Amino acid sequence: MLRRIKGVRYLSSKYFPNEPTSPVVKTASVPGPKSKQINQELGQVYDNKATYFVTDYFNSYGNYISDADGNKLLDVFCQISSIPLGYNNPKLIEAAKSDEMIDAIVNRPALACFPSTNYAQILKDGLLAAAPPGMNKIWTSLCGSDANETAYKAAFMYQHSKIRGNKPFSEEELSSVMNNKAPGASEMTILSFEKGFHGRTFGSLSTTRSKAIHKLDIPAFDWPVAPFPKLQYPLEEFEQENRQEEQRCLNKLEEIIENAPKQIAALIVEPVQSEGGDNHASSEFFQGIRDITKKHNVLFIVDEVQTGVGASGKFWAHEHWNLTSPPDMVTFSKKFQAAGFYYSNPDLQPKDAYRQFNTWCGDPSKAILAKAIYQVIKQDGLVSKTANVGDYLYSGLQQLVNKSDKLKNLRGKNFGTFIAFDCVNADVRNKLLADCRLNGLNVGGCGESGVRLRPTLLFEQKHADLFLNILEKVL
Amino acid sequence: MSNQSVSAKYFPNEPQQPIVKTTSLNVSKQEIEALGKVFDSRSAYFAADYSKSIGNYIADVDGNLYLDVYAQIASIPLGYNNPALIETAKSDKMIRAIVDRPALGNFPGNDLKEICGEILKVAPKGQDKLWSGLSGADANELAFKAVFFWYQAQKRGYKTDFSREEVESVMHNQAPGSPELAILSFERAFHGRLFASGSTTCSKPIHKLDLPAFKWPKAEFPSYKYPLDENVEANKKEDERCLAIVEDLFKTWSIPIAGVLVEPIQSEGGDNHASGEFFQGLRDLTIKHGALLIMDEVQTGVGATGVMWAHERFNLQPPPDLVTFSKKFQSAGYFFHDPEIVPNFAYRQFNTWCGDPARMILAGSIGEQILKNDLVKVADRVGKYLYEKLEKLQSKYPKYLKDLRGKDRATFIAWSLESSEARNQFLNDMKKVGINIGGCAEDSVRLRPTLIFEENHADVLIEAIEKVLSKY
Repeated sequence: MLRRIKGVRYLSSKYFPNEPTSPVVKTASVPGPKSKQINQELGQVYDNKATYFVTDYFNSYGNYISDADGNKLLDVFCQISSIPLGYNNPKLIEAAKSDEMIDAIVNRPALACFPSTNYAQILKDGLLAAAPPGMNKIWTSLCGSDANETAYKAAFMYQHSKIRGNKPFSEEELSSVMNNKAPGASEMTILSFEKGFHGRTFGSLSTTRSKAIHKLDIPAFDWPVAPFPKLQYPLEEFEQENRQEEQRCLNKLEEIIENAPKQIAALIVEPVQSEGGDNHASSEFFQGIRDITKKHNVLFIVDEVQTGVGASGKFWAHEHWNLTSPPDMVTFSKKFQAAGFYYSNPDLQPKDAYRQFNTWCGDPSKAILAKAIYQVIKQDGLVSKTANVGDYLYSGLQQLVNKSDKLKNLRGKNFGTFIAFDCVNADVRNKLLADCRLNGLNVGGCGESGVRLRPTLLFEQKHADLFLNILEKVL
Repeated sequence: MSNQSVSAKYFPNEPQQPIVKTTSLNVSKQEIEALGKVFDSRSAYFAADYSKSIGNYIADVDGNLYLDVYAQIASIPLGYNNPALIETAKSDKMIRAIVDRPALGNFPGNDLKEICGEILKVAPKGQDKLWSGLSGADANELAFKAVFFWYQAQKRGYKTDFSREEVESVMHNQAPGSPELAILSFERAFHGRLFASGSTTCSKPIHKLDLPAFKWPKAEFPSYKYPLDENVEANKKEDERCLAIVEDLFKTWSIPIAGVLVEPIQSEGGDNHASGEFFQGLRDLTIKHGALLIMDEVQTGVGATGVMWAHERFNLQPPPDLVTFSKKFQSAGYFFHDPEIVPNFAYRQFNTWCGDPARMILAGSIGEQILKNDLVKVADRVGKYLYEKLEKLQSKYPKYLKDLRGKDRATFIAWSLESSEARNQFLNDMKKVGINIGGCAEDSVRLRPTLIFEENHADVLIEAIEKVLSKY
């Protein structure tokens, strides 16, 4: 086991001088008795079936989540990958107490009709400053699912506008659309990948292909799906097989596009399929997608809802690919607290007003929070620090996986802390997650038998050591 | 006026009159143009300065102060910079909710039940549970999902597991796993702009063009003749005609209808009202055909119609199955009562955040203020006062105040003009005399003031309308 280098200065100690030095588990089970009791009461008014444990956010601190029983768990799941800078980060508390925030909370604007005078500046100092290379415009929304759907809307309107040219809407379009029928209602589609997860409202859910339970009983659009590469690990040992697998998937993708009965307006893909099992693919694969989408006039949407905001060792995971030309749209949410999509082509803004529109069009209070998050990340160099900690963590895990007959397919090398591995089966995985919690480690699963690490950007070597020790103990 | 003013209590320094410094809005135009380089700002009326807005008055960056009867498209409940809400925004609870946003479905906070409890204190009659979302469109789509889960569970059995065929077909978006089921909505309805909510929206083509839609049916919503007391028979017939269309769609639509979605007053679509009998008729039809009834109270809810929830006036028996909310409540989601509307298994009605405690805390606080100051009654009282004054104006300017509607619906009032051009001109002219006011449908004007809009504000509004109309 790797041990921490003496004399390392911890940023987490700067923000969280009183962060616990190790987890505290006081109860014989996690969730403990108080957690169970409160959750049962909650169930009277709110669907509580998926509760892990009831949380005490007032006493959660830094990388540690506190539960209702007073247990303090090292958190590498972080609200399903959405806590960027630890619990109760003083910089975010400062932002939350600012006049700007209070104004945004109590005077929530209908942004597109009555934009606040400071909105442009808030965007410029935060969300736009963080924009992926090649992107300089933004549309804001409320969550990842909503971000993807607004991107789909932009894609459909763009493709139809391209066909229509400068002609106005036809009488037939104007009347048929009110009956949800073509030509006013589009017959175009969005292509996604097997095991992709893009959200759970009806349009985004039609592109989600992760698990049946996410989709059952819900009507869906008949949209196309392409295979995503299933890589074999360790990558060094399967270079040729994996290259062939990726080529197979690219060939299949092009075949689907060429034979599509309805025009495919856009394709959406995650840099790492997260919910679907942390499935990676190479830069060459994504460059292949960029080439095929360009060739066939399909817009390329990269869903960075889970992968974005630093955890991969780049601010945006797709920056790892060094594409010859940027994607058409990049969606974000989760760790950024705000949500929406970036783009650069002005034609992705519909020709008329009130088309990409709704009451709130986002939420300035979340954009203010995103600004504070971005500024901390930038000032403290958290992206490169996460890359380093990730390398350290990966090599520690490599040793554990090599030793264990229960773990396999370690992935996320050179990809920050965005690391995952598989257990030999779902039962072993589920037991592992439960045992980890009992030993003070809150960790989440993905796919059928995967374990994913989604710590904060202030997860450092000392936390990695604790994590590795607990995992070793549990194994 | 003998009534004690609530707005004066909250806003002792609220202006008595609008301030119109300039109608050229040069600073606004510059700011909107600058914003437009990075964010679609073409629908902006003006750039607002919220720090200078107070109570019922909204400030723009050119130094104008407008009496606001549009209130962020019906979503400001207690006026700008309400001190009670500022106090909530500064509370430790709120600060924690902002900086530690939880994945509520997995890691609910130990105060979540209390937060829900505050919202449930003002729940519609007959509803005692809730699920939370982020916007009105999201709330409606979550409600659709609940309806579809319920509908399939009726056929399959609540606890019965899925078949292998369902589990496999669903990954290809095909039946039986992705069933062909429909939500019935109405012509001129507005329910949001995501793909499924957009499929139920039927207000204007511009809301829908070029977007894929589910092949879901639309029934006709009653079109009443005004004034109502002179057209009782005709309007009753209209109810019956529309209900017959609904029943016909249940019997003939190619896809089974799992739920009916309706606004108590169609707002975006023109402030179209219907009677209690019409809604009871819908309730009866949904029960007869094994479907659920969703009331969309996104715009009508939270007091502005003189009851907390507009459908409570209909006294439906039994109450609706789901009631969606957003806008004035700042939070969003749906209320319900039947425990079997909670799906049988975990992770079905689920997403990362499952709502936002920061907005839920604010909703609780809004509810508390409404109860404490009896603001539903205030809206009712002021609405009556305002309606009477509008009726008087109507007799003087009938062309510009056609089909005045919203009698006994508090401040939830609207009227029509003779054309879209005339309406737009009117809205524009009102801004020039210091009133921020919104339209709906092609030719209508809707009043959506806050709940602390009182007689003195109504007087300012009436005076401004008269000033504009007297020049026509």
